[in-house]
Amino acid sequence: MTATRMLARDWRGGELGVLVAALVLAVAVVSGISAFTTRLQTALEQESHRFLAADRVVRSGSDMPAEWLAEAGELGLRTAQTLTFPSMVYAGDADMVLASVKAVSAGYPLRGELRYSEAAFGPVLTADSGPQPGTVWLDSRLFPLLDVDIGDRIAVGEAEFAVVAAARTEPDQGGSFLGLGPRVLMHYDDIAATAVVQPGSRVEYRQLYASDRAELLDSFVDWLRPQLVPGQRMLDVREGQPGLGDALGRAESFLLLAGSLGVVLAGVAIALAARRFSERHNDYVAIMKSLGATSSDITRLYASSLFLLGLVATLLGCGLGWGLQQGFFTLFGEQLPVQPGPAGIRPYAIGAATALVCLLCFAWPPLRRLSLASPLRVLRRDMPLEQRQTLVDYGIGLVAVSGLMWWYSGDWKLTAAVLAGLAATVLLGLVLARTLLRGGRLVGMSAGSIWRLAFAGLQRRGTANALQVVIFAMAIMLLLVLLLVRTSLIEAWQTQLPEDTPNHFALNIAPGDVQGVEQMLRAQEVPGAALSPMIRGRILTVNGEDLPRREEAEEEGRRQREANFTWSDELPAGNSLVQGQWWAPQSDAEEVSLERDFAERFGVALGDRIGFQVGSESFEATVTSIRELDWQSFNPNFWLVFPPRLLAAYPATFMTSFFLEPEEKPFLNRFIRSFPTVTVIEMDVVVAQVRGIISQVSAAVELVLLVIMAAGALVLVAGVQASVDARMHESSILRALGARRRLVLGGLLIEFAAMGLFAGLLATVAAELSVYILQAQVMGMQYAPSPWVWPLGIAVGTALIAGLGVFSCRKVVSSPPLAVLREL
Amino acid sequence: MIKAENLQKRVPMAGGELEILKGITLEIKSGESVAIIGASGSGKSTLLGLLAGLDESSGGRVVINDTDISALDEDQRALFRGREVGFVFQSFQLLPALTALENVMLPLELQGQGEARTQAGHFLERVGLGPRLHHYPRQMSGGEQQRVAIARAFANSPAILFADEPTGNLDTATGEHIIDLLFELNREQGTTLVLVTHDHALAARCQHRFRLDAGALVEAD
Repeated sequence: MTATRMLARDWRGGELGVLVAALVLAVAVVSGISAFTTRLQTALEQESHRFLAADRVVRSGSDMPAEWLAEAGELGLRTAQTLTFPSMVYAGDADMVLASVKAVSAGYPLRGELRYSEAAFGPVLTADSGPQPGTVWLDSRLFPLLDVDIGDRIAVGEAEFAVVAAARTEPDQGGSFLGLGPRVLMHYDDIAATAVVQPGSRVEYRQLYASDRAELLDSFVDWLRPQLVPGQRMLDVREGQPGLGDALGRAESFLLLAGSLGVVLAGVAIALAARRFSERHNDYVAIMKSLGATSSDITRLYASSLFLLGLVATLLGCGLGWGLQQGFFTLFGEQLPVQPGPAGIRPYAIGAATALVCLLCFAWPPLRRLSLASPLRVLRRDMPLEQRQTLVDYGIGLVAVSGLMWWYSGDWKLTAAVLAGLAATVLLGLVLARTLLRGGRLVGMSAGSIWRLAFAGLQRRGTANALQVVIFAMAIMLLLVLLLVRTSLIEAWQTQLPEDTPNHFALNIAPGDVQGVEQMLRAQEVPGAALSPMIRGRILTVNGEDLPRREEAEEEGRRQREANFTWSDELPAGNSLVQGQWWAPQSDAEEVSLERDFAERFGVALGDRIGFQVGSESFEATVTSIRELDWQSFNPNFWLVFPPRLLAAYPATFMTSFFLEPEEKPFLNRFIRSFPTVTVIEMDVVVAQVRGIISQVSAAVELVLLVIMAAGALVLVAGVQASVDARMHESSILRALGARRRLVLGGLLIEFAAMGLFAGLLATVAAELSVYILQAQVMGMQYAPSPWVWPLGIAVGTALIAGLGVFSCRKVVSSPPLAVLREL
Repeated sequence: MIKAENLQKRVPMAGGELEILKGITLEIKSGESVAIIGASGSGKSTLLGLLAGLDESSGGRVVINDTDISALDEDQRALFRGREVGFVFQSFQLLPALTALENVMLPLELQGQGEARTQAGHFLERVGLGPRLHHYPRQMSGGEQQRVAIARAFANSPAILFADEPTGNLDTATGEHIIDLLFELNREQGTTLVLVTHDHALAARCQHRFRLDAGALVEAD
């Protein structure tokens, strides 16, 4: 008999439905999610590269080897370099302003665009390269401050330049915008002529690299990375986008989690379906063996069947996976702020590999045992089936599940969290299910005949039922985990960026302008944060010890550095204390409160004394509290907060953030004209982009949840089917003995509902445990118990299993008992 | 020729072993028809399974046409069965996935015979199922299914045919037709026939009878 003929017949007989569906789903889930995340990642990376002005950037406080650029050039990468340094800028004899000068080479920017205007505050134009040698672009604010116009000349150090344009934005200016002076953009080749940059100057060198061929870039990065020394740092693409990194990281974790769970569910469904398939084929194999088929004939037959099945399922699964992600991008693609990139062949290769692993580890073990079936079954059908290898099967399955999850998620913590949840379900489940089933029997004894029948049935197949309850519980648990994580994920995203998230920052507000700025914002009814004072200072010592200077520092974190200080009598809004105590109002003690990550980076704790310098004066303060704050709130946030009296003597500027509707934008012009020294930074594009991406990713998360639900449903169907034969057999005998339809169906309903109830209960407990581990340990989110999931888990478990069970056995009351018995 | 020498079968049970066959010795000559009779549980089917090489004995041996099948492993026995033996079972044991024609072709294909389709068609014609070649077992009556089984049993011209209660699942009239067909083909093909039955009338049509009681051979004629 050929494999195709056997498969065709089994397909017509409905024997292969669950097996094929589970395989197709496994491949579809894996390839679909993989293609989806790849495409989204490619798109977002391209977008974030614009924020870096390149694909990769190396940043350093001192000049970097020119060979790096030469090597990149030889490899075919595009390169550019920038140098940023503070310098006085002069115009004529009288006017001078401290500016942030940025010198850029000819190719800059490699990604994104430069924005400029032909007059200060004029209409914005775009350019794909910076100023020519001998010319500069000035920040709009500098024009009134220096009293210059287009065509005038200014001096930076010893060199003079012609002012040719107003610099508006650079793609990579985000990130550390705080405390920067107004921008002067000049050509890289003019640096030497200024004679401003000397060894030891506080400067930032950047080398920029880009290529459309990722493999070139990767090989270059692999070559370059080992050569980096302390103080030189390669920038990650996500660093340019505040707020997006975390959201995307979590979304990715979620999708990977969902994919992994999908594979586990499909794996369980495949194993169950293959086991049933194998049990039903035992008699066929016995017949074939009695007719002269050898073990290797049988092995060959079933191996080739499985191969064919795998091939068809892989093709269908890849098609479905492609359709899923393509459908998503077709439906929502237009709303995405970025163009989805290509997915390539890899997601489908991963899908095919998943099919192979599923077939080899879940489906093949029970089928392989078919070759051991005894031909004697042709004479004695009651011979027990070959079960010796079952434990080994579970072992192989477990290794495969763990391996797939780890390979797929690349995250052992996530894998461990899900496995811990599964292990808890299985162990707790086997003990609890048996106890509950036994308890049910006692209740049933004192009840009416339907109940007695049902609980006797549960009790009779105690171990098999306990196992079945565990399988149901596993499926329900995984679905609940996904539902819980998805809900808290979406809630977290929504609260992260509420509708009136500030989308503009105003910096460098002079003390004399504070009142005026406040009044103007109030008059416009612009929602925003209170004005925070800001003092630029340096951190010099910890507990009396000098910190290393930037160029001497071995680690990026612990070194002398500049930071923005603020003062406040109260804990700033959006901050929460994690250690220590906030100072009393009007305190004049030498205290400082640190942000948690900042404290960790500096290796300081409560009670440590830190030495600071503001201007030419130094002072010390003791760390009396550590705070946690939400960096993604788009509110002014500070690493260091002091009691007001401690900083009162130093010159401060003020900053604030506020929210403007797009149609309120003209207000900015009036605002800047009224306060020409104030720097306004527009974040609305970034905020809108973050919100857009989050809503798209939320939609993707919902879609994936649906697909995984289907995988869960398959497990339930396969689980119910596994026991349908035995139940049908018993029910047929009952029917033959005259039991009425109501008794038989009622008994089955109670039996399945009881199993569903136990499974739901078990699943809910295990889901809470898994979600706790996942949120607290893997996704870096706050765990909160979800009381609503308890009634949901139990009700859904009971209803689903009862419904599926009775539906699968309905034939027992609709067909004559003898016909049913003959078929089994 | 089939020779059983001191053939024993024991199976492990809770609290010891159960002895199903207690040292059976018998001989069946080529071309003979033999009935194995006895009450339920007397060991008839176990003896048939051992003689046909479907099971392994716990002691003694079975020699068929100079081959000691007790010394063969399961795969060698499978090849031997495919070559030398045909079966007819009480519950027909047709593969539901295959049509009547495909069921009969199966042993021929397993033997690698090129003319499987023609030969299978010929035997189905012979048992009167010419018009039903492409029907599946579930579309046939019990008598028709057993005729397919008989065609399959004779298709590869076996030296020995084993039949286990071949009329057990059939009504009397159909059962008689089936037995007539079985003996007719047996004569035509010159096959050795070993059948297990409760039915004394059927046993009486065989040349020899062996009676089993509680695993021991108590009578032979």
